[in-house]
Amino acid sequence: MFKRWLSLFRVLTRRRDFEDGMSEELRFHVEQYVDELVRSGMSPERAARLARMEFGSLATVKEDCREQRGLHLFDEFRRELNYAARLLRKTPGFTATALLTLAVCLGANLTIFAVIDSVLLRPLPFPAPDRLVTIFNTYPKAGVERDGSSLTNYYERRGHISAFTSLSISSYGTEIIGEPGSTEREQTMRVSPDFFATLGLGPVIGRTFTEEETTSQTDHVAILSDTFSRQRFTADPHVIGRQIRVNSVPRTVIGVLPPAFRFLSSDARVFLPLASRLEDRTPAQRHSGGNVIQMIARLRSDATLAQAQSEIDTQNAALEVDDPQAKMIADAGFRSLVVSLHADHVAAIRPTLLLLQAGAIALLLIGAVNLVNLLLVRASGRVKELAVRQALGASRGYVVSEVVVETTLLTLAGGLLGLAVGVGGIHLLRALGADHLPLGSRIAFDMRLALVSLVTAIVMGIVFAVPVAWFNLRRHLGNALQSESRGGTSGRATQFLRHGFIVSQIALAFTLLAGAGLLGLSLQRAMAVSPGFQSDHILTGQILLPWADYSERARLAFIEKLMDNVGHLPGVLSAGVVNNVPFSGHSGKSAATVAGHVLRPGESARGHYSYGVAGDYFRAMGFSLRSGRFLTAEDSHRSERVCVVDEDFARYYWPNASAIGQRLWDGSEAGKDAEAFTVVGVVSSAKQAGLTEEEAQGAIYYPYAFRVGDSFFVAARTSLPPESLGLTLQKVVRQIDPNIPVNDLRSMDTRIADSLVTRRSPALLAGLFSGIALLLTAIGTYGVLSYAVAQRRREIGLRMALGAQQAQIRGQFFYLSLRLLSAGTTLGIIGAWLTGRAMQAVLFHVPALSLSIFAGATCVMALVSLVACLLPSQRAARISPMEALAEE
Amino acid sequence: MGKTAELLPGTLDMLILKAVSLKPLHGYGVLQRIRQISRDALEIPQGSLYPALYRLEHHDLIAAEWGQSENNRRAKYYSLTAAGRRRLRDETASWNRLASAIAAALNTTPEEV
Repeated sequence: MFKRWLSLFRVLTRRRDFEDGMSEELRFHVEQYVDELVRSGMSPERAARLARMEFGSLATVKEDCREQRGLHLFDEFRRELNYAARLLRKTPGFTATALLTLAVCLGANLTIFAVIDSVLLRPLPFPAPDRLVTIFNTYPKAGVERDGSSLTNYYERRGHISAFTSLSISSYGTEIIGEPGSTEREQTMRVSPDFFATLGLGPVIGRTFTEEETTSQTDHVAILSDTFSRQRFTADPHVIGRQIRVNSVPRTVIGVLPPAFRFLSSDARVFLPLASRLEDRTPAQRHSGGNVIQMIARLRSDATLAQAQSEIDTQNAALEVDDPQAKMIADAGFRSLVVSLHADHVAAIRPTLLLLQAGAIALLLIGAVNLVNLLLVRASGRVKELAVRQALGASRGYVVSEVVVETTLLTLAGGLLGLAVGVGGIHLLRALGADHLPLGSRIAFDMRLALVSLVTAIVMGIVFAVPVAWFNLRRHLGNALQSESRGGTSGRATQFLRHGFIVSQIALAFTLLAGAGLLGLSLQRAMAVSPGFQSDHILTGQILLPWADYSERARLAFIEKLMDNVGHLPGVLSAGVVNNVPFSGHSGKSAATVAGHVLRPGESARGHYSYGVAGDYFRAMGFSLRSGRFLTAEDSHRSERVCVVDEDFARYYWPNASAIGQRLWDGSEAGKDAEAFTVVGVVSSAKQAGLTEEEAQGAIYYPYAFRVGDSFFVAARTSLPPESLGLTLQKVVRQIDPNIPVNDLRSMDTRIADSLVTRRSPALLAGLFSGIALLLTAIGTYGVLSYAVAQRRREIGLRMALGAQQAQIRGQFFYLSLRLLSAGTTLGIIGAWLTGRAMQAVLFHVPALSLSIFAGATCVMALVSLVACLLPSQRAARISPMEALAEE
Repeated sequence: MGKTAELLPGTLDMLILKAVSLKPLHGYGVLQRIRQISRDALEIPQGSLYPALYRLEHHDLIAAEWGQSENNRRAKYYSLTAAGRRRLRDETASWNRLASAIAAALNTTPEEV
């Protein structure tokens, strides 16, 4: 069987050879026969005639031969294809509309599916990726939904949870890499020795980290990514053992990872051991995760998530027994959750993506309904032709296969165009920030996607063929032949079908429109939220100082010098430094203990944004002072400890008293009297993580000397456009230390705009989708009404001849479209309400049932339908009775 | 030309297989060979020869190859494949069984009943 297919395939691919060979063979035969006849004494002319007679028709023999070779089906298919192509060429308007509709609808689906595929569907690039889980601590009642894991968690769990074959931790960071004078800032990961074993993918050259390399005295080793090793060491095979400077400290390269290695969305190219001190691994540090360390584990092949979760719960309960803070931890609702690594990584974006895919599918449905409607209108124009052909013996199978070939040709061509639209769409999505999505860098157009969309196109072609074939076959031959018009009348059932399609189209378009409206309104509401400070004209950038070169004292000196230099730049009004600016993408919370505050029953200790600030931070950021004073540079040097809190913090702890003069400690326990900070000012509350952050978490600002960290942000208020000062700021920093780069240079307004990208881009896409949906609905309504007018020309002509007014005729069609519109809108409102409910997770301060959105969508829908029905009804009203009645 | 017999349905394939089993032949040669081995008793309708050849080739019972004819013309030569050889053997056996059964039936005399 297989061989037969193979030989058929060979013949098909070399069809010309086959035909030539056949002709030559048959000619040879006839000539041989003629020769033989001549040799037996016949005259050449008679011989030739006899030979031809005995052989029969050459064309018939050839056709028989082709059939025996299994070629006739293909020939017939080709004939049908030619016929379909000719038909489509004859109606360029219809064909262009159909192709464009398909291209846009399939392209939109392809684009969104490309994102869904790479973000949600394609497994992570590790062996048995579905066994990978992540574990994080949560304290929901303290307002901390997610706190990562602590070092203590790791050392306590490792080897003690039987549901895991391997458990490891990692943290993201940025490090300055390279020799003095040619340093670069690199994304890095610090990982525990078993990290690569957990993933099931480790160095291809060299080895992984060992247990001995997890202290800060012994961690002078590094593992490189393939690209990094290529760039820095030009893929030197003897790279193992060579030195690389990380934050000025030399480290030995001990391994190189395979080329495709990538942990989730991290761009890390250098991997370092996650070193820690023994005192950081003690039970006292169990709850000091701070969302810095991520714990991952590999489930045993026969273990379930639930098993792992219950083992972790059991262990947590056992460990908390002798914890002095057990009560507080329990009050905070503490748990360690075990969830799938992939699902957890994409959880935030999942609802938005699914929503967009639903929107794209709705668009495709509208397009499909449109096309079926147009195809039906077209088919009814050919009723008579088909009736004649069926009367002349065309089989039902032939009628069906002809329709299938035509619709499939159409959808396949549309699908190919859709591929092009999809490729363009993927580029558009990149411009809209899709590659910043989790796993978004994997988004690409590939053969798999092309195959999916072509298969979709073919399936659509077959589905489209069903109603058209049904329509073609159900006509009674006699009826069609007898009916006087070329097109024949349309039956009640087909008319009902057509109108049903229009109604569903209007309903779907309405739903899409309302959905886009909800997203837009939600975006608008989010944008209207004040960040809590004056965000215009602020330039911000991050600076990382290596601990090896900068002691705490040197850091403070660096910052002081920087503030001095930046403050005197032309165009800079004021400048300040903070551990972490708002909208930086990182926001850790930590505990504070307020003197005199007793936890009420059911209340748990809260996490607050806690930052150190230097220079003129508050003025640079445009915070308003509510009472007291801002922190000044001197506060870092004075022995008296002071701090500033924000309004949320003050309102929470001292709702009825002034915050000024109150005392608090940094940390979860009250310390010595001398270590308490006195509140000297209250400033406006700022959104830290995003504009849509709901919880008023409270913030405390300490003098920078009390909160020194690895890196800090510079914020400068400028009189010029802030971006124009970026290079100057970099120059100023390099003047102080040529090895220190400034990273993540962005204006504050840009940061805020960037933080809204997951709201803005979906809203834009949904808007685009609903715009296309409206256009398609207009085309569909217009097409069906035009057809209805054309069908009833004679009737209209007759009525006008009998005295009907133009307005009456116009009104009749107007009424029809109004009926379709109101039915569609009613269904659409139900659809929009359901959609709104499904969208609650991604909406911000927008109810599912937004009257303004519904009213707006109804108006737009009405406008579009009325415009679409205007032209046909106008045409109907202008029908001349004489002409209409004289026709045919 | 002597008296020719009508070809029984289904026997053309068998005859072609037999003809090319002796030696690779072009289409015209197949015709001559069948005439020869049937001692001019069987005449193949020329128009049905080639569809039969194409069918057998399609079913991989014979294989075709271009070669030189006796008078130095390019011609397509057919030869038996392994599958064709098996088929010929089976068909011959079943034909012989059928033929002898029919012969026995037709030669039955009243005494033998």
